[in-house]
Amino acid sequence: MIVIAIIVGCIIGALIGVNMPTISYTYSGYLAIAIIAALDSVFGGITSILKKNFDMKIFLSGFFVNAILAMALTYLGQKLNLDIYLAALVVFVWRMFDNLGAIRRYYVEKITTRKIIAKAEATIKKANEEK
Amino acid sequence: MINKNKIAIVLASVCVLLSMAITIQIKTIKRTSIGEAQNFSQDNLKDEVLRWKEKYEIETRNLTNMEKELAKIREEGAKNDTSSSAKEAEITLNNNLLGLTDLEGKGIELTIKDDPNVTKENIGIFDDISEHIVHEQDLRAIVNELKNAGAEAISINDQRITTNTSINCIGNVIKIDDEKISSPFVIKAIGFPERMESALSRAGGYLYLMENYGGIVVSIKKSDNVKIPKYTGVISSKYIK
Repeated sequence: MIVIAIIVGCIIGALIGVNMPTISYTYSGYLAIAIIAALDSVFGGITSILKKNFDMKIFLSGFFVNAILAMALTYLGQKLNLDIYLAALVVFVWRMFDNLGAIRRYYVEKITTRKIIAKAEATIKKANEEK
Repeated sequence: MINKNKIAIVLASVCVLLSMAITIQIKTIKRTSIGEAQNFSQDNLKDEVLRWKEKYEIETRNLTNMEKELAKIREEGAKNDTSSSAKEAEITLNNNLLGLTDLEGKGIELTIKDDPNVTKENIGIFDDISEHIVHEQDLRAIVNELKNAGAEAISINDQRITTNTSINCIGNVIKIDDEKISSPFVIKAIGFPERMESALSRAGGYLYLMENYGGIVVSIKKSDNVKIPKYTGVISSKYIK
């Protein structure tokens, strides 16, 4: 259900984006860092859904506040002539890998448990038949 | 279950935003990038150039609007006064001649193109490829010919030829003032159409030679409504006392 929602959302977004006008080059740096922030939020959201502690308010506020803070940092960095956006980038990508690791672990464990349960059931069945 | 649906909808809408932003970003980068930069400093320089270009465009647009406003104000101010309306007419005429305004009027449109039949592969041994392309001296000669035939305003590929315009060759393109242009060249001139046309197309004239010996594609079109844009640069005088 959620996987389908994500895929459909991405396709619709891409279709809208293709028909939208381009933005000014000056602001493309800000949009880039906002994209990374949003991507991080989406991964975080998926992880929390799998862990069953998903909170709508936290997810939505994280999505917008992270993006805005990242853009503000980029702006500040431009004023100070210091590439602060690199720091934001590192943090976001770091967390993305963290979340991706959690998602991966969840599914690997799920599959492993399923196998163990199947094995156990087979053994019980065998034992019952022998009786 | 309702909660799960809600989550799915929110995630989907966030994904819509995300992929929309990504596609817009890709489009923007594709439109503006001139090619892969070699290293970091080059990348920064490229960035700077694009930013300045954008700023320049915005400022020029502002300037155009301001000039329009100024013209309106001047017109209004000169409405009720004969001496100031005469001055106003003089200013307008001078601005037109200086190249500060967009103009339209009767004239000709001349298109010249490099010889399409000659390429580096099929050119003869004794032939010279540079005979078959349009050079900056050709443009200069044509501009000269047009001025001689009484052209009042001239533009090449929408670059206004002013009294201080220079036409130079830089490698494989031609520079008019600070703008680079290349073939095909569209030369527009406002003036007496028949006279300009006959001056240009006379047998033994410059265009005749280009057409018959260089294979340059030439076409002249008379028009009642030739539009010539204004000069986009800055006219400055530092040393005139």
